[in-house]
Amino acid sequence: MPAIVTTGITKSFGAGETRTSVLRGVDFEAEAGEMTFLVGPSGCGKTTFISILSALLSADGGALSVFGTEPNRLKSGDLVRFRRDMVGFVFQQFNLLPALDAAENVAVPLIIQGVSPRKARQRACAWLELLGLGAHLGKLPSELSGGQQQRVAIARALIHEPRLLVCDEPTASLDAETGRQVIELLREVSLNPERAAIIVTHDDRIYPYADRIAFMADGRLTHVERPDPARIPARPIRGETQP
Amino acid sequence: MLGIALKMLFGDIVKMLGLVMGIAFSTLLMAQQGGFFIGLISRAANTVTEAQGVAIWVMDPKTETAEGPTAMRDVELYRVRGVEGVRQASPLVQATTTLRTPQGRSSAAAFLGVDDASLLGINPRFVVGSPEDLRRPDAIALDQLGFSRLWPGEPLATGKEIEVNDRRATVVAITEALPGFTAPVIVYTRLSQALSYVPGGRNRLSFILVEAEPGRDPRAIAQAISAQTGLLALTTPEFQRRTIDYVLNNTGIAPSFGVVIALGAVVGILVTGLTFTLFVNDNLKQFAVLKAMGLSNWRLLGMVLAQALVVAFIGYAIGLWIASGFFDAVNQPFSDLKGFWLPWQIAVMVAGATAVIVSLASLIAIRRVLRLDPATVFRG
Repeated sequence: MPAIVTTGITKSFGAGETRTSVLRGVDFEAEAGEMTFLVGPSGCGKTTFISILSALLSADGGALSVFGTEPNRLKSGDLVRFRRDMVGFVFQQFNLLPALDAAENVAVPLIIQGVSPRKARQRACAWLELLGLGAHLGKLPSELSGGQQQRVAIARALIHEPRLLVCDEPTASLDAETGRQVIELLREVSLNPERAAIIVTHDDRIYPYADRIAFMADGRLTHVERPDPARIPARPIRGETQP
Repeated sequence: MLGIALKMLFGDIVKMLGLVMGIAFSTLLMAQQGGFFIGLISRAANTVTEAQGVAIWVMDPKTETAEGPTAMRDVELYRVRGVEGVRQASPLVQATTTLRTPQGRSSAAAFLGVDDASLLGINPRFVVGSPEDLRRPDAIALDQLGFSRLWPGEPLATGKEIEVNDRRATVVAITEALPGFTAPVIVYTRLSQALSYVPGGRNRLSFILVEAEPGRDPRAIAQAISAQTGLLALTTPEFQRRTIDYVLNNTGIAPSFGVVIALGAVVGILVTGLTFTLFVNDNLKQFAVLKAMGLSNWRLLGMVLAQALVVAFIGYAIGLWIASGFFDAVNQPFSDLKGFWLPWQIAVMVAGATAVIVSLASLIAIRRVLRLDPATVFRG
């Protein structure tokens, strides 16, 4: 069974005459161990859809299962725990906490889970070493380049070993070469048989890195493609990249 | 998460300083004005506070305050002495007059004429000389503030001559008396001398100071005196209270200080509230990220409150430190503000007010954090 299954997901915003239907019945599947890209024009509902997948928003209708859990049926406290334990986020603007250094930023999800700050920092340092940022552990985000910040964000998204990784335009704020490095890194460190990665992107230069590409338009999933396997860059052996 | 909250707070040093300064200024204003208020109204009762060994004050029933007595007939002294439980009853004459030096300097002063024999009611803190020196001819004891006003820059010394209502007086001692309300300079002399220095009519007796017999309840003796003489007899604490109440009820001091103190609180709420709201608004995205990552509303609330409390504590400590430094600086023997201090009760009340200010200031910010939609993390 697919790791993530949605059926007929709908979502509207506003009320009365200003009511806008953003999702009009999205049927979607994603497999664990795969990187699924969600693509489509601006305003087609991609961001709303990943917000629902990651339990940041609730759907108005339809069914949703994420590794067997149905976020739509969870109470508020359980939703918070679901996000805390099951989901890792990578954002377009990195969204690192500017007052914390790189290691502290990466440690945040563990601290939220209740791990002591000292242990959390140790693990954060190991992740940053793995991502080639061993020399930048104590640097503030403002002292890092965009690519380095996104690598810190990737470490933060993965440190608590979430089963669902949600990335919103992870390469949009980066130049072409840095974007390529980041997506390669994501493939390298994020994929394992227990995790599904959903990546929203407009950047067609990174399409070859997807295992499958889901196209959205006007609040619906229109079709799913599998890129030419010959174009998919070689990937490391899955599950062997945890620090 | 406490450490993260504090790093977020100290990471924006400009806003944090704005918050701290807002609280510090508010604290300073409330503590300084509160101390001033207490110091000022206490002055009204300093005559009573300073009188050593006096258990009961007897006065004309029309007397409202220690500094505005209605004179009594001399015979009342003997009637009071006849009341059971009275160990000693001594007269006190009080009046305000002007002191002049031969060089032409002058100062208003409260003249206190105490019983020639017992010297009951005199302030015991003599810096130069002793109460016994008052038994010399034309002798007066002047306080340090009066000396510094009449002979500025000169070291404290006795033997100086001054003129009081065209009569010569000699400074034989210098005291450390607390200033009065209407006249900050305090002069002690014997009753017989005071009567010649201060003009007046047939009835000159301001108060009768009573020492109670050992083991007797001053309150019961005071009631007996009132019942037997028709005079008003109050224990020392009761008379202090009556005097302060009179000042509070018959002057604009309480409302004017109240307005300033309230302004301090309002300024604190506005400055702190606006700055804190700005601070939280600037950090909303960060709070949204934390919320998206699974931080509960309660823990977010704890973070915001921790930030508010730290700011409040630092601001309060700075404000109180400046206020207490101010009072330390002005509460000097030769200062016009002598006797003004910062009571611990004011510090506690200001701490409470600061807590209220910060709570109110945090409310709007906290509401925004609690209502924050974590999905905003995906917005640009």
